[in-house]
Amino acid sequence: MLIRSAPGDGDPRSPELQRRLVWLLAIVGLTFAVLVVRLWQLQIVRGNEYYEAARSNVMDERFLPSVRGKILDRHRVALVDNRPAFNLYVMPRLFNDAVRARLVELLELSEEERARLDQRLATARKRRSSRAVMVLEDQGRDRAGLVAQARIELGGAVEVHAEPYRNYPHGLLAAHLLGFMNQPSSQEMAELEKEGYDATDFVGRFGVERAWEKYLHGKKGIERFIINARGERIEGAEVEELIQEQSFEPPVAGHDVILTIDLELQRLAEQAVAVHAASAIAVVEVETGRMLAMVSTPSFDPNVMTGHLTPVEHARLQGDPRKPYVDKTLQQHYPPGSTYKFVTGGAALEGRQVTPHDHFSCPGSHRIGGRVFYCMHTHGSIDFFDAMQRSCNVYFWKLAERVGIDRMAEVASDFGFGAPSGLGLNGEVSGRIPNRAFYDQRGTHTLGHTLNTATGQGDVELTVVQLVMAYAALANGGRLYAPKVVERVVSASGELIREERPELRRRVSLSPNTLDVLREGMWRVVNAQGGTAFRFGKSGVVEIAGKTGTAQVRGRRPNEDAAAPDPAEWDPERDHAWFAGWAPARQPEIAIVVLIEHGGAGGQVAAPVAREIVEGYFTRVRARK
Amino acid sequence: MRMVGAMSQLHRPALGMSRWRRFAYRFDWTLFVCVILISAVGLANLYSATARTAHSGKFDNQLIWTAAGLCFFFVFAALDYRSLYRLSWLGLIAALVAILVVRLLSDPIKGSHRWLDLGGVNVQPSELAKLAVIAALARLLHDRAREELRKSEALAGMVAIGAAVALIASQPDLGTSILLVLIIASVLALLAVRLWPVVGAGAIGLALTPVLWDRMQGYQRARVLAFLDPSADPTGSGWHTQQSIFAVGSGRLTGKGFLNATQNQLNFLPEHWTDFPFSVWAEEWGFIGSVGLLAMFAVLTVWVLHIAITAPDRFGTAIALGVGAMLFWHVAVNVAMVLGLAPVVGVTLPFISYGGSSTVTFFIGLGLVASVSLRRTPF
Repeated sequence: MLIRSAPGDGDPRSPELQRRLVWLLAIVGLTFAVLVVRLWQLQIVRGNEYYEAARSNVMDERFLPSVRGKILDRHRVALVDNRPAFNLYVMPRLFNDAVRARLVELLELSEEERARLDQRLATARKRRSSRAVMVLEDQGRDRAGLVAQARIELGGAVEVHAEPYRNYPHGLLAAHLLGFMNQPSSQEMAELEKEGYDATDFVGRFGVERAWEKYLHGKKGIERFIINARGERIEGAEVEELIQEQSFEPPVAGHDVILTIDLELQRLAEQAVAVHAASAIAVVEVETGRMLAMVSTPSFDPNVMTGHLTPVEHARLQGDPRKPYVDKTLQQHYPPGSTYKFVTGGAALEGRQVTPHDHFSCPGSHRIGGRVFYCMHTHGSIDFFDAMQRSCNVYFWKLAERVGIDRMAEVASDFGFGAPSGLGLNGEVSGRIPNRAFYDQRGTHTLGHTLNTATGQGDVELTVVQLVMAYAALANGGRLYAPKVVERVVSASGELIREERPELRRRVSLSPNTLDVLREGMWRVVNAQGGTAFRFGKSGVVEIAGKTGTAQVRGRRPNEDAAAPDPAEWDPERDHAWFAGWAPARQPEIAIVVLIEHGGAGGQVAAPVAREIVEGYFTRVRARK
Repeated sequence: MRMVGAMSQLHRPALGMSRWRRFAYRFDWTLFVCVILISAVGLANLYSATARTAHSGKFDNQLIWTAAGLCFFFVFAALDYRSLYRLSWLGLIAALVAILVVRLLSDPIKGSHRWLDLGGVNVQPSELAKLAVIAALARLLHDRAREELRKSEALAGMVAIGAAVALIASQPDLGTSILLVLIIASVLALLAVRLWPVVGAGAIGLALTPVLWDRMQGYQRARVLAFLDPSADPTGSGWHTQQSIFAVGSGRLTGKGFLNATQNQLNFLPEHWTDFPFSVWAEEWGFIGSVGLLAMFAVLTVWVLHIAITAPDRFGTAIALGVGAMLFWHVAVNVAMVLGLAPVVGVTLPFISYGGSSTVTFFIGLGLVASVSLRRTPF
């Protein structure tokens, strides 16, 4: 039963409401209209924009590291490989000041590490904040363990990933040849990003690592997935649809690069110059142009350079006057001294300005105009062979007067000097072969310039690799090869990707007879009593042929007879010691150039190093095959 | 509306019909169908919002509350609303006591004393207090029009209502107190015999806003500031608004489809089932669905206003207007908040938001309106 109470029939109605009804309807209508217009604005006008925003809100990508290709020696022994390392990643979205403070405290991060962390995080935030960013690479087991333990405490904002990290098992060995890796700058990143690199990737910086980057690098895999607001991963078929792209692209491993280098010979060569302050060595197969060893000292440790270079260490390397960062086989040219005399002699013989048995008198000096040029000794009356054997300057000066500077330059160019050898590493320099035009440009050409050039002094500059290829050509009968340091590139599954075949650049224009004379002269240098390399370079194991050189620096006269200096001492006023040659002398297999930078006399300092390496090659390296 | 009225005239039930058939004849089915449709949307939406999450049990709870709410709806529709006339002051006093009890006894949840634990059921007295305030206000306006009201009595009534608002505001529950102020202001603006005192009171209220700001909690101030500039701190206070706008906007014209709202399912909007259910709906059903839902609310609002205008007495008019205002302002403020047009305050969307107190309050309120509607034609 319905209850009747105070208000009842005949109660006053609400005339006020009738009057104010218009206002009421206006407010209700206007409010709904505003809401509908706002919906229109959000969903229709800007709908696509918000749709993308919502999609990128939930979609995330993770790179799956690809394994970088190894660098192997000619017997497939690893020179560079990968080891597992713990890398520290943070999620920018979850990484706040509290987490940072906790992490700093937990790992006792140094000033420098904190700066690195902040800088990488800032870069990442500018790009895309949902992706984990590597802030500290190659951390020790202790730190990895600490972070794993404190995972909850760190709010899931810090992760440790065990990932492959570049490893140089032989340390400083062949460092300039192999190179190292580090993080690209942000400018470089713009380019690299197109090729699938991401900000935490390392890139090859020197040597083979740099030059063959495109083969070694491989391709990172990408995993796309859906995350919720807390950055947690959501699984399930429903969310997979959101991804729209392929959700998984597997990583592709980089290719292995197989070098022509022989690890054992390389090690042997480095041991042979270990006592010297600075040096460069190149050993090459004369019949193929394949490099067997390339040494440049002092060196750097690629394991340090790769992600562990401190500013202090960098300053030390940078400040070292012996220039550890420079590859002395390719990046630096030197005056070749007497190793260059074959050019002068070859030009004269070929032009019949001299026969091997023509005698000239060496009074110990040579006068042109008002200037006196001094020889090492007073050699007396000598023929071409004697002149080579004992490295008589006067004899070659007299030849140079007949040949002229331009003809000498022609022969030099023919042997590959003055232009990059084409090894394709470390920004190879061209060196310099002066001719008449060169001096006319700078002033006036004088006979003095010609004489200096004849003995590899003055303005002649060439690289160790250029010289070794020229000596290989001398040894093999005139075939000038392009040097090769890579033999082949092989995929991770063993498939041949690229093969580097021996590349003959040209046959030098000197006749076989001329070459025979030059070779005979160089045989005597090492193997005949009185030869400049006889005392320190003659080997009981294998016959070596070659030429010593003592290149003067800073205008001082070369001093072949000075007492043996302390090899570890660095004296930038001392001469460069050279030995260039091949072995065996009669059936050449390898050519070698040894440069001891500011080492002193070639015969005394460089020749024994070359002998040690060559003997090692024939007794240990070659014998093993 | 006319049509329905005319129909009921034509088929005027004869005396001697069963009580049920009389009830069924006069019962406001339009109102009921609107409420049922909106509740169904709410349940479907809640299902989608919580499916495959740890909160999926919330759907079952809401189902129970909806069933309970329907029972209350019919009970209050069947009861003569006029019986509330005598009880209105008692109801307001009971509400004040309940709020005080909550204030004194309950543990604060998220820094606010709002919930009262009644043997496992958490009740929010401030929700039900809205109805008590509406009833008290209705009595005041009814008496005023009959000129039986002394000025001192009117003043005492307004003070009691003001006390309820102040108590709720100090819980602190900014959303509910703002809603109460809006409801009271709406009803007074429409029904007060003289408008100037209402305008004056409003002016004084506005003048006191700085005091309110001073009394606000830190998070409340942050939300208001974030509303004024949501991009200033997107992961902080503006986060809700920003993510809500992403959700709504990403629905585009037709929406992502049922159960496909990534923004909401992946929890970019924390607790979206209470304050942001409209963003789930808008993301899944797009512009069409959003406007459709707003249209349902608009129809319901207009229908309640129609009942208010045609109510048999001033008390009924005031009750219907009060409930209509409550419905309208809840919808307007909640949707405006979801669309980034209003600061984030805890205002529920009627029948859509998850929550027992809110759901039951709206069912009772609309039950009262149905009761008024039922009695528009005399027996």
